[in-house]
Amino acid sequence: MGERIFFGIAALGAISSGVAVVTVRNPFRAAVALIVALISVALIFLLQHAPFVAMIQIIVYAGAVVVLFLFVIAYLGERPPNLGPDPLAEYQVFTWIAIIGLGIEGFLALVNSHLPGVHSNPTITSDIGSPHAIGNAFIDQFSVPFEATSLVLLVAAIGAVLLARRAVLGERGR
Amino acid sequence: MMTTATLVTHQTTGVPTNWYLALSGVLFLLGLLGVLTRRNPLMLLLAVELMLNSANIALVGFSRYWNVSDGQVFALVVMVVAAAEVVIGLGLIVAVYRQRLALDVDALSRLKG
Repeated sequence: MGERIFFGIAALGAISSGVAVVTVRNPFRAAVALIVALISVALIFLLQHAPFVAMIQIIVYAGAVVVLFLFVIAYLGERPPNLGPDPLAEYQVFTWIAIIGLGIEGFLALVNSHLPGVHSNPTITSDIGSPHAIGNAFIDQFSVPFEATSLVLLVAAIGAVLLARRAVLGERGR
Repeated sequence: MMTTATLVTHQTTGVPTNWYLALSGVLFLLGLLGVLTRRNPLMLLLAVELMLNSANIALVGFSRYWNVSDGQVFALVVMVVAAAEVVIGLGLIVAVYRQRLALDVDALSRLKG
């Protein structure tokens, strides 16, 4: 029972702050709402026997990534850009059709799922979420994906440097 | 060395797997709504972060379902890709801003076929 209450609180936090991320006009407030959503998701990870992923979520996501967001928002100025009326407003009904259709489809798939035991709580018999288990999984099975992520980070860093350089050259060094 | 995923016994108390999947679906739809309706590229990136997190909830949930670490490893890799995506996305936004163009994804349509 306690687990379900904990899940309810974390899920409520994640969904309500997710609504805030999507609806709030001010980018700064949306980024702060995203922090709340990310910490709620970290609580969900804790409940799912994934303490290491939960800690990485808080350190990397709620720490580094959102701080990067806030830095760029501060650089661009806090005022929201003045865009004028939306030229595509008449097509917004299709957005709602897609969202509601997908929601109904996902609900039916979940309710009618014949995956054995998906409607009950699995019993954890071994250590799957500790840093020890994750480290062993990376070394034993996933050493190639691990190296591939380092390549992804390298490419992203080179791309960011080239983008910044081109932006400065486009202004003729101003 | 491959560990074989075996279906473990289930109990009726605690949080069932489909609750996590439902939460994941709701968060994914929220993020999708943000991506489809917002016009500021910064808000688009924030909504994409929400969608990636919902996918991570499902991955870690199935990791628990099969009683193996694979899904959690996958979630960590998704986090790395998300960090790379944020760096490139914010770099693009700053580059657009410095060219004194409007920060509106509907206006940045010169590459449209």
